[in-house]
Amino acid sequence: MTANNDSSDLEALFDSIAADVKVEAPAPKPVQPPAASKTGDDDDLQALFDTVAAEYVVSEPVAATEPAGGAAWSAQESVFNRIGHMARQLHDTLRQLGYDKLIEDTVSALPDAKDRLAYVANLTEQAACRVLNATDIANPLVDDMEKGATQLGERWDKLFANQLSVNEFKELAGETRAFLKEQLPQKTRATHAQLTEIMMAQDFQDLTGQVIKKIVTLAQDLESGLMGVLIEAVPDTRRTQEVDNLMNGPVVNAEGRSDVVVNQQQVDDLLDSLGF
Amino acid sequence: MAVDPKLRFLVVDDFSTMRRIVRNLLKELGFTNVDEAEDGAIALQKLQAGGFEFVVTDWNMPNMDGLTLLQSIRATPNLKHLPVLMITAEAKKENIIAAAQAGASGYIVKPFTAGTLSEKLNKIFEKMGQG
Repeated sequence: MTANNDSSDLEALFDSIAADVKVEAPAPKPVQPPAASKTGDDDDLQALFDTVAAEYVVSEPVAATEPAGGAAWSAQESVFNRIGHMARQLHDTLRQLGYDKLIEDTVSALPDAKDRLAYVANLTEQAACRVLNATDIANPLVDDMEKGATQLGERWDKLFANQLSVNEFKELAGETRAFLKEQLPQKTRATHAQLTEIMMAQDFQDLTGQVIKKIVTLAQDLESGLMGVLIEAVPDTRRTQEVDNLMNGPVVNAEGRSDVVVNQQQVDDLLDSLGF
Repeated sequence: MAVDPKLRFLVVDDFSTMRRIVRNLLKELGFTNVDEAEDGAIALQKLQAGGFEFVVTDWNMPNMDGLTLLQSIRATPNLKHLPVLMITAEAKKENIIAAAQAGASGYIVKPFTAGTLSEKLNKIFEKMGQG
C-alpha cells in the first residue's frame, strides 16, 4: 500500500548483498563484460557497457591482478575501487561517444523525479476525492427520483383499482405532469453533471501516465548501469534470493508466480483448503 | 439472519480514499455507524475505548500494521471476540495463511467489489450467529 515498500525491499536486498561481500571477500576478478542485465535495456547502453568493459580489461590491469590476499584492500574498498575505475572509464568513453550530454540530462532529471512522483500522488488523490464527492451528490438525486416515481406509481395503481375520486385523480395528473416536466429533468440534469464530473476526474491518467513514463525511463537507465556492477559484485547464490516479508504491496505482475493469489476466489479456496 | 444496522464498525486504513470507499460501501449495505482510524495504533486506542463491534482493516500501514493489530486484538481479553475482516493488497499465499492463523475472520484482496464485501460480511455474521 505504501510507496516506501519497494525501497525497504531494496534496502534489505542491499543489506544482504553488503553482508555477503563482507564475509566472503571475493578477490577482484578481471572484469567480465557486464553479463547482460536482465532487463531489456536498449542496445546503445549495452554496446556502451561492452566498450567500457573491454577497455577496462586492457588498460587497467592493476586492479584486475590485485592478489586475493591483498590485506590492504578490504572487500568493500576493492568494490569501491572498481566502481571508481569503471566510473572513470565510463566517463571517458561517454565523452568519446558523445553520451556525456545524455547522462548529464539523466542526472539532472533525478532530483526532479521525487517531485514528479509527489505530483502523481497528488493528482490521483484529487481525482479520487472528486469522484467520491460526485457520487455523494448524485446518489441522493437518484434516490429522490426513484422515491418520487414509486409514490406516483402507487397512486396510479390506486386509480386503476378505482380507489381515487375525480379530484384526487386531477391532483395526481397534475403532480405527475410536474414530476415529469420539472422535477425529473432537473434531477437527471444534475445527475448528468455529476457523471460528467466523474468522467472529467479521470483526466489525471493522461498527466500521471506521462510523468510515470518519464520516471520509468530514468529508472531503467540507472538500473541498467547499476545492474552491471551488482552482477559482478554479488555471488551467484545471492542473486536469485528473493527478499521475503509480509508487506510487499500489490502484486504488479503475477505471471509465472505460484506464491500469490490473483483473485478473491483463490483467497477463498486457499482458506477453505486449510480449514479456516 | 437479521443483522443490527446499528452495528458499530471501525474502518482502519492509512489512505483516506480507501476508508471513504469502505465507509460508502458499508452505508449501501445499511451500516451507517462507522468510525475510522488511520493506522493500527490509533485503531487499538479507539477499540480499547470501547463500543465497537466490527473491525475492517488494511494490512500495510505505518506505526502498527494490520496483522499486528489483529494479533493485539486477539491477545486482549475484552477485544478478542471482535470480528476482524482484512481488506488488503497483500496477495501472497503466506500473507493469507498468516492472517488466518492470527485469527482473521475474513480476507479480501484489493481491488475488490461491493459484492465481495457484502458476501464476506454475511459469512462472518452467519458465524457470529452460530457462535
